[in-house]
Amino acid sequence: MKRKALIHKILSSVILVIILAVFMIPVYWTFVMSFDETVLSEIPTPPRLLPRVLSTANYDYAFAHADILRYVLNTAMITTICTVISVTTALMCGYAFAKGRFFLKNFWFVFVLAVMMIPFEAIMIPLYIQYTKWGMMGTYLPIILGYFKYPYGIFLSKQNIQAIPDSLREACYIDGGREWRTFVSVIVPLCGPVIATMCILQIIGSWNSFLWPMICIRDRSMYTISIGVQMFNSSETVQLLGPRMALAFISAIPIVIAYLLLQRFIVTSVAVSGIKG
Amino acid sequence: MNPKKIRLRFSTLVQQLEWYSFLLPTLVCLLMLCYLPVFQAVKYSFSSVTTTGFETTYVGFHNYIKLLQSPRFLNAIKNTLILGLYSLVSIPLGFLLASALQNLGKNKTQSFFRVMFYMPNIITGVSVVLMFQYILLQDGGLLNSFLSLFVKGDVHIGWLVDKHFSKIAVTFIAAWRGVGYCMLISLAGLQAIPLEIYESADIDGASKRQRLRYITFPCMVPTFTFLIVTRMISGLARFDDLYMLGGTSGSPTYSLQTLIMYVYQYSFSSVSPNYGMSSAAAMIFFVVVFVTTLANLKITNFGNERDHKRRLRRR
Repeated sequence: MKRKALIHKILSSVILVIILAVFMIPVYWTFVMSFDETVLSEIPTPPRLLPRVLSTANYDYAFAHADILRYVLNTAMITTICTVISVTTALMCGYAFAKGRFFLKNFWFVFVLAVMMIPFEAIMIPLYIQYTKWGMMGTYLPIILGYFKYPYGIFLSKQNIQAIPDSLREACYIDGGREWRTFVSVIVPLCGPVIATMCILQIIGSWNSFLWPMICIRDRSMYTISIGVQMFNSSETVQLLGPRMALAFISAIPIVIAYLLLQRFIVTSVAVSGIKG
Repeated sequence: MNPKKIRLRFSTLVQQLEWYSFLLPTLVCLLMLCYLPVFQAVKYSFSSVTTTGFETTYVGFHNYIKLLQSPRFLNAIKNTLILGLYSLVSIPLGFLLASALQNLGKNKTQSFFRVMFYMPNIITGVSVVLMFQYILLQDGGLLNSFLSLFVKGDVHIGWLVDKHFSKIAVTFIAAWRGVGYCMLISLAGLQAIPLEIYESADIDGASKRQRLRYITFPCMVPTFTFLIVTRMISGLARFDDLYMLGGTSGSPTYSLQTLIMYVYQYSFSSVSPNYGMSSAAAMIFFVVVFVTTLANLKITNFGNERDHKRRLRRR
């Protein structure tokens, strides 16, 4: 019986390895082609799974014709600001909803969570008009301001902060602290894992966001990586397979590294909550 | 009133303000950037909006009527629903993967596969599109070359240029991106099934198929429901990859234009944007998403956990 189970296990693993290999072919192929100099001007027929002339020519071309570094820096900046804002406000609200006693608490909680029912795409026209009236279009403000609300993060923080015993807060009160000091010196340090989860979900979401930044940003120098790559992709009429593959690789790599480093938090939080960001 | 009581009142007021100071940024943001725009979206959908100054005049159902008479809009709705339905294919695939992973038991190997299969969810949309543009290429694309191995002669399918194949091609992309998520959720669902049920089934001499039919599937109903709802909603709101592949018109020949792309085309990529009409389209999108969610919940009997448990016990 035990032996049968072992064979079963090995068989499953072998099948999974084969599936994974097929599954990862697109990524591998991109990687290979981005380092193949001959791909710069022509499409390799038949497709090869190893580069013929190994070089970084495609990357050189991509860097020379699109301001990649700038796009990456822009995206990193926006992502950092948005993540800090959304996680901080989510923790603040989570604390208030978990421990606070104030007027209309339940109403506000429903008020916050109900927003999850409104798809962003349904309200983007009024938002666009509103921001245009405020003269904010063409800046990063329309992107950043939206991050002051993070309903799922608020829910998550509330669940976690509720589990923190009140005795810890009382110790801080005795020392003469008020709510804000309790929040900073007691609650936040105890929320490490939840903060990590929220951060990574928001980083992925913000890094990959496409539609709204495309509406808001006009200036070429302000492009995020997604928009920059898309503009390169649609403007180049010549078949530039290699540089495009190089771009695909560059734009994916930061987020993939972040994912592999923090996969523990992501995979479990997605599995538990089902929410991707 | 004695001074003590006044001081007491004052302190509760301070306390209230203190708690509200935690909420203030979020509440202001929600009011200004979520709830207010919802009302405005409704208002715009019943108005004609000027392109400069955004002045509105009430026109009643004019926008909606015009939309429902427009073949392009009906086509966009049809595409959105079809693509949303097609994208559900990642659920059975994800379940199969999850079952294979479940066989491995909870260990390092399992978490390795979990992490790898989930990766396409993380990769930026532009990168995915760039990759698949060449995999699905008509001449020399990886998929066509692969298919050529199995049939005589060259396979010459224009996955992204032929409107008969474009929907299948983009479903292929959606499945590649979505299967990891479905696997993750299915695996969590499988792991939540108590082992005792299987053990007692073994004692009763249940076959493998019976175990699947009477234990695994009934226990997975809530998980599948959740997946269908979330997949369907994200399928309905699909924009990024299709826009990159075919522009706002959803080429080839409008076969990939979804509702959101339609909204985008008429309000953001047009020289004379028609905000009223595209707001009406956005409202219809909102309703479609809402109705799909409700219908999905109803059909799959979501939230009726007690009923589900009772059914389980009877078997």
